Amino acid sequence: MNQVNSNCPNFNTRLETTSVLVNKVIDGVKQKRIKKRNLIWLELTGCSGNIISLLDGANPDFKSLATQMVNFIYDNSLMVSEGEAAMEKLFSVIDDDYILAVEGAVSTKDNGLYNVIGRCRGQPVTAYEAIKKFGEKAAHVIAVGTCASDGGISAARPNPAQCVGIQNLLDRKVIKLPGCPCHPDWFMGTLAYIMLFGEPELDNRQRPVMFYSTLIHDICPRRKYFDKGIFASKLGEKTCMFKLGCRGPVTRVDCPVRKWNEGVNWPIGDDSPCIGCAMFGFPDKMEPFISYNTT
Amino acid sequence: MMNSKIMINLINNNLNEINNIIDCLYTTTNSCVKNKLLNQLRKNISNLCMLVQGLQNSENTNSPQIDTIRTFTEAELSKYNGRNGNPAYVAVNGIVYDVTNNAAWGGATHFGLVAGTDVTSQFASCHAGQPILSKLKVVGKMVE
Repeated sequence: MNQVNSNCPNFNTRLETTSVLVNKVIDGVKQKRIKKRNLIWLELTGCSGNIISLLDGANPDFKSLATQMVNFIYDNSLMVSEGEAAMEKLFSVIDDDYILAVEGAVSTKDNGLYNVIGRCRGQPVTAYEAIKKFGEKAAHVIAVGTCASDGGISAARPNPAQCVGIQNLLDRKVIKLPGCPCHPDWFMGTLAYIMLFGEPELDNRQRPVMFYSTLIHDICPRRKYFDKGIFASKLGEKTCMFKLGCRGPVTRVDCPVRKWNEGVNWPIGDDSPCIGCAMFGFPDKMEPFISYNTT
Repeated sequence: MMNSKIMINLINNNLNEINNIIDCLYTTTNSCVKNKLLNQLRKNISNLCMLVQGLQNSENTNSPQIDTIRTFTEAELSKYNGRNGNPAYVAVNGIVYDVTNNAAWGGATHFGLVAGTDVTSQFASCHAGQPILSKLKVVGKMVE
């Protein structure tokens, strides 16, 4: 029921996209054809779910990224340095070449004072200040997750800290990888593509086409039930959850094929409707996440 | 244009199918089968509406199609919110559309909008120039 067709070349190619790109980068770095790039990962106003998701990556895994692909300059959750020493390290590459990955939205109220990400030389550094400083100078900016891409949960009603997605504060192109969290493959594949060929092909909302080209609904293993009008009336039923409020028909990403936790499962595979976490407007515009008594 | 005789035959076929489906609905206890039958029923009724409209139009080709179908006030439209057996209708630019089984209206809601309302301004801000309305079934028009 929830199994994708393992003989389908389209599905197989999708599943191999990231590992092929990452392995090409690793080979290139080994042979000195490709230069390791500096990577800065800023955690702004969010839950750090995207860096945790990245640690869950497999084939390629986080270790390959951190040791063979990039110089991982800064991430406040993972680095050994702390406090002033960590901030010194962050600011040490501001005039060098670096790729910036950002998770979390940006709190803008009171000049961003509701989210201080560290202190540098005794002065507080707000998320607002950090994205302005590092976003303008980066070679590429990647918004990792829905909060960075569009405000997401951090900007959900009533949004007391007046959070916004990072594009609102940057006068430049931002590659967006919405998803709550972002799948490790989406980030590593995008980063590898940048290192190999430059900016990947993006859609009209700046999402890489290689991951965000298809509606969940169009590759959903339960699509046949929708077409036949066989709908689940409660959670746990194995048929189409459209009547329960599934957002698969408006969410463009490849979860049905890629799945999560090393390809084990995904929400619809576990009898829960898609809540549109990878869609702009999540969560407010995707609510209600579950609807009963619909016709 | 189909001639009236063919249309009447098709209407009769649809009515027969509807009667058969109703017979099946009385006997089935399986919810999946029930959903399937209800969906088929909706399709048949939709076909029936189109055929009846076609017949009416062929009798009076000068009047636009929209004049032959039902009218809704704002209060009447609000009943069609896609809940408790009611289909899901929305109004755009004075025309009422059926979105009951439109994939983008899961749970009779769409990006924070609910069925049974006039979504003209929201449609204009998101879907201007997109050929979306032509794919939806027209069920009526709005009146003051």
